[in-house]
Amino acid sequence: MEIVQVVLLAVATFIFAIDQFSLTEVLYRPIIACTIIGAILGDLQAGLTVGGSVEIIAIGNMPVGGAQPPNFVIFSIASCVLVIVSGMEPEAAMGVSMVFALFGQYVVTLVFTVMSALMDKADEAAHNANPKGITAVLNAHMAVLGALFAVIAVACYYGGEALSGTLNSISTQFSWLMGGLSVAGGMLRFVGFGILMKIMLSNDMWGILLAGFACAAIFGASSVASATLIYVAFIGVAIALYDYNSSVKLKNTNVGGGMSDGI
Amino acid sequence: MASNYVLPENYKDQTPAAPLDKKTLNKVVWRSLQLQACFNYERMQSAGWLWGILPGLEKIHTNKEDLAASMTHNMDFLNTHPYLVTFVMGIVLSLEQNKAPIQTIRSVRISVAAPLGGIGDALFWYTFMPIVAGVTSGLAQDGNILGPILYFVLAFGVQMALRFALMYWAYGMGAAAINSLTKNAQEFTHAASMMGIFVVGALIYNMGTGTQLGMVFTNGDLTTDVQAQLNTILPGIIPLALTLMCYYLLAKKGWKPINCILLLLVIGIVGCIFGIWSGSYTALVSVPWHA
Repeated sequence: MEIVQVVLLAVATFIFAIDQFSLTEVLYRPIIACTIIGAILGDLQAGLTVGGSVEIIAIGNMPVGGAQPPNFVIFSIASCVLVIVSGMEPEAAMGVSMVFALFGQYVVTLVFTVMSALMDKADEAAHNANPKGITAVLNAHMAVLGALFAVIAVACYYGGEALSGTLNSISTQFSWLMGGLSVAGGMLRFVGFGILMKIMLSNDMWGILLAGFACAAIFGASSVASATLIYVAFIGVAIALYDYNSSVKLKNTNVGGGMSDGI
Repeated sequence: MASNYVLPENYKDQTPAAPLDKKTLNKVVWRSLQLQACFNYERMQSAGWLWGILPGLEKIHTNKEDLAASMTHNMDFLNTHPYLVTFVMGIVLSLEQNKAPIQTIRSVRISVAAPLGGIGDALFWYTFMPIVAGVTSGLAQDGNILGPILYFVLAFGVQMALRFALMYWAYGMGAAAINSLTKNAQEFTHAASMMGIFVVGALIYNMGTGTQLGMVFTNGDLTTDVQAQLNTILPGIIPLALTLMCYYLLAKKGWKPINCILLLLVIGIVGCIFGIWSGSYTALVSVPWHA
């Protein structure tokens, strides 16, 4: 019976780990995930009540703008396991679960950083017009993420509260490495920007790039900071329309108002 | 060699493809759920995005060279809201179908996708989801199984309805707009690129300022926070400098993205060994400027 529970727990965690970023993006929510984990561990009611409480904590920690809050898939699973298997009080269980959730966050940071290397494979598949290669890249990413999460869930099942101490000391000892990975993770987007600029940036557009940078800085420091990119888009539309209209007008005058497209 | 791939400016086959049928568009909508299935810090949602629109691209680009070009430029950096992504997909697919210049498609894609990210966060993460959670978590805490069921039906139902509606709206709109633009394609491409590069400039600041120095020098009563000093000169100078470095290495030195990734990993980790970057970590080497 125990082995069935552990296998089901691992499978469910594998799916939730993927679901937190893709699939339905709903199943992984604590209110649903805890209910399912509760059912697997043989106490649906406990899962429901824990899920309701964790959901309220999670709602204040939404994944906004690519930032990584404590991981709520791990938080949900650890809370249920600690309450149902280890018999802890829900309040205490949630405190210990936070240690697991922070560790889960490290795992996500690690996966998102290391998996940047997969983009090389994806580019290669694209250059060769090979759709199967793109599918393979997605599958590899999901398999790694799901497997790592499943391992944490199973470790939590057997290790319980005692394991949280170990995780805590690992997190402290290697905090320079985890810190370095998340700093690097935050920097990798600059490579993405560099790729965009490599193709789009002709010599007459350096000023426009800096103007966009300046606009974001100004809006970002203002009371409309949360709408920065929307206002930037408004200004961008104005620039683009002005450029389009004036160059079309110029072209039409040059060809004497004719209909030739002149390309 | 893959690294020597040169992206053309235009598709070889300039004949607009037949409009995508409902079956293909629906397939793309369902596939759009996998937008973040290959999320990573370098290009974020790009591979998931490409996988999502692939059924459309395969229908549109029947020769292999054009499909390769299309797949290659659809691997660009992308970050938008998952619930709203089909709006971008609809527009991009209509541009692809009409064989718009590749530069135009790239610029339009990033310009539409980036602001939608912010709108989506405010609309869903800050408003809709908290309301749904507020209503249903009470039920769950009382031990009512309706709580999680209602949550799933509401959150998934609204999400899918949006994904379908936005796809058909955007695809129709893109097809209608493109007709008036093909006459002045070159001018449109230039204008769209301006918009695209303007948005990229904004993204460097908006998404980049998380990268900060963490060095604080204490000299008696005088403390000097290096990042705060930098901010009095030019806030965002570090993300700007690092982006320009990547651009220089990629565009002028012929580096592959993977080399840039490795370089940034080294800069990040070595920096944290010596406590140079900000963050709640303990530096490996004990240094006076990092707590």
